[in-house]
Amino acid sequence: MSGPEYLVEMRGIVKKFPNVVANDNVSFTLRPGEVHALLGENGAGKSTLMNILYGIYRPDAGEIWVYGKKVDIRGPRDALALGIGMVHQQFKLIPVHTVAENVILGLREQGFVINERKINNELTQLIQRYGWTISPNSRVWQLSAGEKQQVELLKALYRKVRILILDEPTSVLTPQETVALFQTLRKMASQGLGVVLITHKLEEVFSVADRVTVMRAGRNVATKNVKETNIEELVELMIGRPLLKISSTRSLDTSKPVLEASGLVVLGDKGLEAVRNVSFKLYRGEILGIAGVSGNGQTELLEAIAGLRKIMRGKVLLDGVDITNRHPQKIIDAGVSYIPAEVLRYSAPEMTVAENLVLKAYRNHLFANSLMIRWRDVNRKAEELVKAFRIVTPTITNKVANLSGGNIQRLVLARELGTLPNTKVILAAYPTRGLDIASTEQIHQELVKRAEQGVAVLLVSEELEELMALSDRIMVMYRGEIVGVLRRGEYDVEEIGLMMTGVKRAEVSA
Amino acid sequence: MMLKLEKRGQFSRKFSAAVTVIFVAASFLVAGLIFEILGVRAVDVIARLFEVYLSERTLLEAALRGLPLGFAALGLTVAFKMNFWNIGAEGQIYLGMVAATGVVLLHAYYGLVPDFLVLPLMVVLSFLAGGLYCALPAFLKAKLGVNEILPTLMLNYVAYHFVNYLIHGPWRDPKGFGFPLSIVFPPYARLDTVLGHTAYIGVPAAFIIAGLLYGFIMYTPAGFEMRVLGQNYEAARYAGVRIGRTLLLGSLIAGGLAGLGGLTIVAGILGRMRPPSAYVGYGYTAIIIAFLAALNPWLAVPAAVFFGGLLVAGDVIQATLNLPFPAIQILQATIFLMIILGEFFKRYRLRVVI
Repeated sequence: MSGPEYLVEMRGIVKKFPNVVANDNVSFTLRPGEVHALLGENGAGKSTLMNILYGIYRPDAGEIWVYGKKVDIRGPRDALALGIGMVHQQFKLIPVHTVAENVILGLREQGFVINERKINNELTQLIQRYGWTISPNSRVWQLSAGEKQQVELLKALYRKVRILILDEPTSVLTPQETVALFQTLRKMASQGLGVVLITHKLEEVFSVADRVTVMRAGRNVATKNVKETNIEELVELMIGRPLLKISSTRSLDTSKPVLEASGLVVLGDKGLEAVRNVSFKLYRGEILGIAGVSGNGQTELLEAIAGLRKIMRGKVLLDGVDITNRHPQKIIDAGVSYIPAEVLRYSAPEMTVAENLVLKAYRNHLFANSLMIRWRDVNRKAEELVKAFRIVTPTITNKVANLSGGNIQRLVLARELGTLPNTKVILAAYPTRGLDIASTEQIHQELVKRAEQGVAVLLVSEELEELMALSDRIMVMYRGEIVGVLRRGEYDVEEIGLMMTGVKRAEVSA
Repeated sequence: MMLKLEKRGQFSRKFSAAVTVIFVAASFLVAGLIFEILGVRAVDVIARLFEVYLSERTLLEAALRGLPLGFAALGLTVAFKMNFWNIGAEGQIYLGMVAATGVVLLHAYYGLVPDFLVLPLMVVLSFLAGGLYCALPAFLKAKLGVNEILPTLMLNYVAYHFVNYLIHGPWRDPKGFGFPLSIVFPPYARLDTVLGHTAYIGVPAAFIIAGLLYGFIMYTPAGFEMRVLGQNYEAARYAGVRIGRTLLLGSLIAGGLAGLGGLTIVAGILGRMRPPSAYVGYGYTAIIIAFLAALNPWLAVPAAVFFGGLLVAGDVIQATLNLPFPAIQILQATIFLMIILGEFFKRYRLRVVI
């Protein structure tokens, strides 16, 4: 195929938002037939750059060349006219409409009367070409996340885009769906499309991309051929330094457990038993990992210990004191901190960063006397935590609703790890889910540091690597039950994987 | 060309105030249009209205009429902040009146306490009566998860008919020729005898309460808990807020202040109890005032005086322009709608896309 070397060439793009320069003189090129990964940490400016290409933002400076011609993209309509399509993180589909209706929505070329049969034929052809499973007539609400994404891709293909941007497309997909998506992307590239994949996950770069452009703090730091680079190099480019190793010199004191659960039975939201007869002991300074596919009772278990969900049977002892079904306030005061999986569900979005940081500690003598909250002390602490936990916010009086997801997550961590004195147990549910590398690393360091100080940590995660790196023991949960416990030194990915599907430990080793 | 709605980011308090002022001004235009349709010159109506705030006599009257509204609205700022949608200020006002009148009648008939203790006793009991009346739905919400909107609303009717029963029955003045009126309150049971005019004691009291409420909401752990609860129930549970206790305390304050509003009606404006048709709707108007003040207690007091002025103007307009009193309610309603519209435009901006 002859033609210009680049489908897209962005030169010297600058985009400033109040208080932040999102893109600082960024250059980017996209060749026909390539999958180009745009890699970077949260807030590195990847999405901003691509939103500029798609016409959602207008750059403050810089030039955009498409097919070798300088263009001025004033909005998504201009972008689409140039053959540029974008699939956002949140799907922009109408659930009650069919796939076909969603695809043609907004197309002016259809005229007044819609030729349904013709459209369905064209769509069916496209669907078959890519080996998808959706049908033009199915309603969008019936589709899984992966299938909805196929509809978004179908929209782009039907509009004959030659440049396709995907913003963190795998964040909503299962591993199998991710594999299928990457096959689709390769196929699109082989048809001569240029595909931009915005991501912060390194393994995606190596499994699908031809070239990778790394962004850090609003600048493009490097563009590499994927074949000529490696994980260590990309990590260093992304975070500006090599990753710290997790090292810990803690010794366990297993004479007396800090937290002891026996025979816990907890109901889930649907009224069925989500946690069945779970017993374990957690010791001072220990990190106890809970492995399992999410939705197997892990969250319910932590909520029950934190007092947010009723324990139907069984007992929880903290330092020998019964805290079963006590009021959450009592459990907080007893020294249990809880990092929930859904951070926004447990935040006050219209209140300030400082107020959210002391959401649990406002009664504490550090921040209040018997009558009043001492906001000066709160604010001092908040400034300190914002810095320590790298929460990106203009001021500590900014509303939490205006923070990005990653920042809210860091805020919750700062709250749980930074404002409560005499913490004895940390319950952590997926504390690094969705976080970028530097933040994940920081959370890991924090948890290990707390464990070294004698805090006991109950860590729920889906990432086996994370669990194996941090935990002293790993319990595997399946359908609300503990199917087995492994000690450090006997970790085996395959064995844990099998146990996560319900195979009991004894059967595994037998 | 196309109009497009865009979400705004964080907006400042100044911006918020400016939008509210603009939209309240716009409501005068809209209401003016309606007046023109009714065959009255809108300029006249609005001129009459503003004259109310310009003369000392009518301004005092506006402040007086605004007092019950203001006290009830102060309470609502607390209730709404904690996401407790108390539509029952109306009934809580009635209960405050009943308690205050009850004290007076008991004292007048049986001589309960020394005269100088009657007024303080009325204050305490009207606060408690309104507060407990509001705490009842709060209790149902805390214990059984009953949504508060319907119970608070429906208790208004219970209170209305209760007052009606009392004033047509046992509390009717035996020497009142059968009119449904209580006895006239003796001077020691009236607010206008304290400093010469009810507004002289009522407005400063309202400001003091506003200050206390502001401090309570912003600086005390209990106030913080109410704000968190208002933001996100799950977050409040997670933060260890004792939700039932918080709801009860907040509703006691909210209803109690409405009860004080009831006290100002009987002991400050009427000097006796009348059938509720004489002051129906104060509790609902208080909702408008609480929102006009953006749930800020400091602003609730001037907003209440503004609305008190509307009531006074209603009388004036009725008398001089031959318009029915509901005409002024058109203005009230338009203001409320415009405030809501203003809230929308604080969050979204309209952009013309070419």
